[in-house]
Amino acid sequence: MRLSEREDEFMIAYQNGDEEALEKIYTLLRQPLYSFVFRYSRDEQLAIDIVQDTFVKLQRYKHDYNPRKGKLKSYLFQIAYRLMITKLNRRKKWRSLLPFLTPIQKEEFLYIERITIREAVAKLPEGQREVVLLFYYHDMLQEEIAEILGIPKGTVKSRLHMAIKRLREELEEEEYETGSK
Amino acid sequence: MRQDLNKDHHLRKRLDEYHIDIPDFPMKPNRWERFIHFLASPAKDPLDPLISTSNGLLVLKLVPIIGTTAIAFIQVLLIL
Repeated sequence: MRLSEREDEFMIAYQNGDEEALEKIYTLLRQPLYSFVFRYSRDEQLAIDIVQDTFVKLQRYKHDYNPRKGKLKSYLFQIAYRLMITKLNRRKKWRSLLPFLTPIQKEEFLYIERITIREAVAKLPEGQREVVLLFYYHDMLQEEIAEILGIPKGTVKSRLHMAIKRLREELEEEEYETGSK
Repeated sequence: MRQDLNKDHHLRKRLDEYHIDIPDFPMKPNRWERFIHFLASPAKDPLDPLISTSNGLLVLKLVPIIGTTAIAFIQVLLIL
């Protein structure tokens, strides 16, 4: 049985009153949700908050999920994405009003290769970043990405194309600078 | 598109290097903990632009003195 089918089965069990099924869903989907939000925002606390809030929302509206409309993973990613964008927009507004509340970015300098790919992904425009993260790291189809982000499939395709092109350019540029090519 | 990316071994290799450590956290949010995190998160010093220049530093030293003098003067005027 495929993983996505198992997730959907757990969700149906949860909708029918099996509380343990929710724990299983959490164990399966906590990691992908966290890594998506973290790679997008590079904020550990925000990523934890969003994952927790996503599951709060899932519990509150558990009967809204319909397995015929799509996979549970896409459904949860959609909730998490919307929560994250709302929170980030609210933050932006607060920071423009009170600029001294802007936190100092903590970066983990583990080794140079990691920093480079992190920087390259972080440098992508928001629209391209979210598409490339869902496509590459979460193995999602363009239709699923379009549904999660609420944009047409054509836009997903073009953003993905632009993102890959830009990543290639960024990484090649960096290699020339460091002299590894 | 996926085939295109799969063919580009170099880019794939680089993207695969982006590992992240996932911390252990419970499913239920703790509002109090979130508030503590918010308070404890490091923030920019609002006086930083003043401290970095010599004129700014002078302003920072003079403002309390001028302020105190002004308040004292107002109080004296009110008493008289």
